[in-house]
Amino acid sequence: MENQTFYYDNKIVKNFAYATLFWGVVGMVVGLLLALQFIWPALTFGIPYTTFGRIRPIHTNAVIFAFVGNGMFTGIYYSLQRLCKARMFNDLLSKINFWGWQLIIVLAAVTFACGMTTGKEYAELEWPIDILVAVIWLVFGANMIGTILKRRTQHIYVAIWFYLATFVTITVLHVTNSLAIPVNLFKSYPIYAGVQDALVQWWYGHNAVAFFLTTPFLGLMYYFLPKAANRPIYSYRLSIVHFWALIFLYIWAGPHHLLYSALPGWAQSLGVVFSVMLIAPSWGGMVNGLLTLRGAWDRVREDPVLKFMVVAVTAYGMSTFEGPMMSTKTVNAISHFTDWTVGHAHIGALGWNGFLTFAVLYYLIPRMFQTQLYSRKIANLHFWIGTLGIIFYAVPLYWGAITQASMWKEFTADGFLKYPNFLETVTQLKPMYATRAIGGGLYIVGIVLGIYNLILTVRAGKFLPEEAASAPALAKTQGKRGSGEGIHRWLERRPVQFILVALVAILIGGLIEIVPLYLVKTNIPTIASVKPYTPLELQGRDIYVREGCYTCHSQQVRPFRSETERYGEYAKAGEYVYDHPFQWGSKRNGPDLSREGVVNGRQYKPNSWHYNHMLNPQRLNEQSIMPVYKWLITDDLDLSTTAKKIRVMQFLGVPYPAGYDKIANDDLMIQAKGIADDLKSQGIQVEPTKEIIAMIAYLQRLGKDVHAAGMPTATITGK
Amino acid sequence: MEMNEHKTVEKDELTGDKLLSGHEYDNIRELDNNLPKWWVWLFIITIVWSVVYIFAYDVFKIAPYQQDEYKNEMAAAGVLSPGQPAPVDASTLVALTDQASLDAGKEIWLKQCKVCHLDGGQGLVGPNLTDNFSIHGCAYGDVVNIITNGAPEKGMISWKTQLTGDQIKKVASFVMTLKGTTPPNPKAPQGEPCK
Repeated sequence: MENQTFYYDNKIVKNFAYATLFWGVVGMVVGLLLALQFIWPALTFGIPYTTFGRIRPIHTNAVIFAFVGNGMFTGIYYSLQRLCKARMFNDLLSKINFWGWQLIIVLAAVTFACGMTTGKEYAELEWPIDILVAVIWLVFGANMIGTILKRRTQHIYVAIWFYLATFVTITVLHVTNSLAIPVNLFKSYPIYAGVQDALVQWWYGHNAVAFFLTTPFLGLMYYFLPKAANRPIYSYRLSIVHFWALIFLYIWAGPHHLLYSALPGWAQSLGVVFSVMLIAPSWGGMVNGLLTLRGAWDRVREDPVLKFMVVAVTAYGMSTFEGPMMSTKTVNAISHFTDWTVGHAHIGALGWNGFLTFAVLYYLIPRMFQTQLYSRKIANLHFWIGTLGIIFYAVPLYWGAITQASMWKEFTADGFLKYPNFLETVTQLKPMYATRAIGGGLYIVGIVLGIYNLILTVRAGKFLPEEAASAPALAKTQGKRGSGEGIHRWLERRPVQFILVALVAILIGGLIEIVPLYLVKTNIPTIASVKPYTPLELQGRDIYVREGCYTCHSQQVRPFRSETERYGEYAKAGEYVYDHPFQWGSKRNGPDLSREGVVNGRQYKPNSWHYNHMLNPQRLNEQSIMPVYKWLITDDLDLSTTAKKIRVMQFLGVPYPAGYDKIANDDLMIQAKGIADDLKSQGIQVEPTKEIIAMIAYLQRLGKDVHAAGMPTATITGK
Repeated sequence: MEMNEHKTVEKDELTGDKLLSGHEYDNIRELDNNLPKWWVWLFIITIVWSVVYIFAYDVFKIAPYQQDEYKNEMAAAGVLSPGQPAPVDASTLVALTDQASLDAGKEIWLKQCKVCHLDGGQGLVGPNLTDNFSIHGCAYGDVVNIITNGAPEKGMISWKTQLTGDQIKKVASFVMTLKGTTPPNPKAPQGEPCK
């Protein structure tokens, strides 16, 4: 067969590489600001746009979708062309993928700062941007699959299997989890409520980790590690087994984010066992990577690219062992809602994703610029500072998590909580938070060194935008399996069939877990006293969502003595049926709020307390790390949305009476005046139309209905 | 290339492992190694563990779901019924005056009470406790009573589930010492003047 000459598109790779570096710095600097707000809450600056609840989604989305996302595209656009011996399918699609993705990131940052959010972690984008994400993602998929279809190699390599699984699964996850009914351009309600919303969200959230942070990076490892080490892949068979086991098992594990929640027991059990079964398939990737380095370990000492890779793969192995351990009920009872989860996530993000991204950049930038990396010394320095940064980041958080969980659970001999004031358990962690910030700061210093090194590399080299390559055209082969051709080998030359098999593999787990929650009523027993929110409470709840309160406060009391003693009755599935979206949270930087409105409860605070607390939390307790929310007191509630909100809720099945949308604001004003009058009796002058009134109304509603049901509230009788 | 796949056996020179012929992607080769045995065993063990787990929790239900775990935990802690307010005869109680008790009372105050009454008892959300007025009675026994049972409709919660009777007496005794002090920004008097 005659050789054909073609050109790899390096320009698109370069664009993605630069975007990776830029957004990496942005995302991590925002992360550092968040870390510092734990120590100095005044760093929220008293304005909405820089407050923890709003910029935390900017940090997480920037790191995941902007830094890691662009890093993923960088590596895929580089390796896919070379593995397919073909230029990208279509240059215009490449450009749309690139600019569309950057546009999404900018829109995300702006809308999050403005408080436009769905309140679902890692899926906070509002519906218009969600649609844009879907479109751009499909453009990426079309471009990738197009490239694969016009490839000049018979078989698709394991890296591409992972890329395809990434594309297929993220499409399914993003679309399913983002289904919502718009109220207006900037606000929507998810079609799911309460427990169902929680399950869909964490099916998404967990698998965003799996298929956005893991599978594409395993693909990158399978290309860049053997290339950099110049060694053959250790075991093709292991690639096959761990690939299919990984994508099939991963999708089931989402419920491990909801252990000891109101999710039915059987679903929790599935979350536990599928997480534990994931250890070997995950380690398959680490093992195949590390054993590929056999015979090349001397080079690891020399070559920064390999060094970064080895730590990345090791971090991957650590977090994929730690993850399943955290998915057991015993460990989860301690790790959940504490900084353990945050530490775990950052071993993955900083170690696995961050270091592998830099390994890839250190590999491909010098090659595209036809030169050597400017300085190995600086790269080594980056490596050591970064590694030290990860250790300083994670270790104090593990320490802090165990400290805090122990404090939450400790009882005195008299049978009372030893630390009944939640704040005590936060104040205790301040030194750990300071050390964590130092660790994060070190990591950023490393990144800056890396960027400096790459800039000098770029300056010293000459960019090769169109890299010539040649390969014979792909000979027509028959569709059927040849004699002696293994079934998998056959699948590797049939990419469309490959995609379909992968799709089936990832759909099974999700369907089996999610569908019964809709069809089988007993999974969510109803509670008669649980009623829809009043219009004022609904508006208040939307402010709660807007301000990202869920980033620090849970609404999910676990069935532990230490939690029912602190908060009140543990969470029931039936109490969340009108919660679009659910707001269970995943981390307690402050106390759980789901029993806040129970007048006879332990958490109850009068209206005037909430007013004073939002105005200046540190006046009530100088140790508090709660941000100031004074704009709630000055800003008017937007009453124009009430009617539409009621109608959307009715459409979603919330039983407001017919025509209620027309009179909802009347009810709203009556309730608001009541709260304003109560505040007035405490010497606080505030108009009933201010946002704070709605927020107070919502907080005072929390837990009321479930306690009204006369749930037995077991209590310790003090001696 | 694929045609002569079985004819020659190529070996990796560094490890001596067999290379798969025809498996070459942008110069990346693949070895014909088997799955590591320990890895296979690890996988099998986790699968067996999972099957046992599901049978124990969800089929035979011999391991407890969380609701039962909770019942067990509460039973073990000796917790059974809602706590009853300890009846206190306001007139007979006498405030503690020893320094150790007052210090202990102050510690509780700073943890629990000041978020509404502020550090010096000047009041903000809750009433001023330094002036000569009171909503719920001025005697030491009245203070013990209001801390114990609360007046939730007015914003004061009951502390009997969070503080022992002993602790309540100490913090109430400390509160008695606040009267007549002059912290900054005192809240206007509320309730009835004390006799």
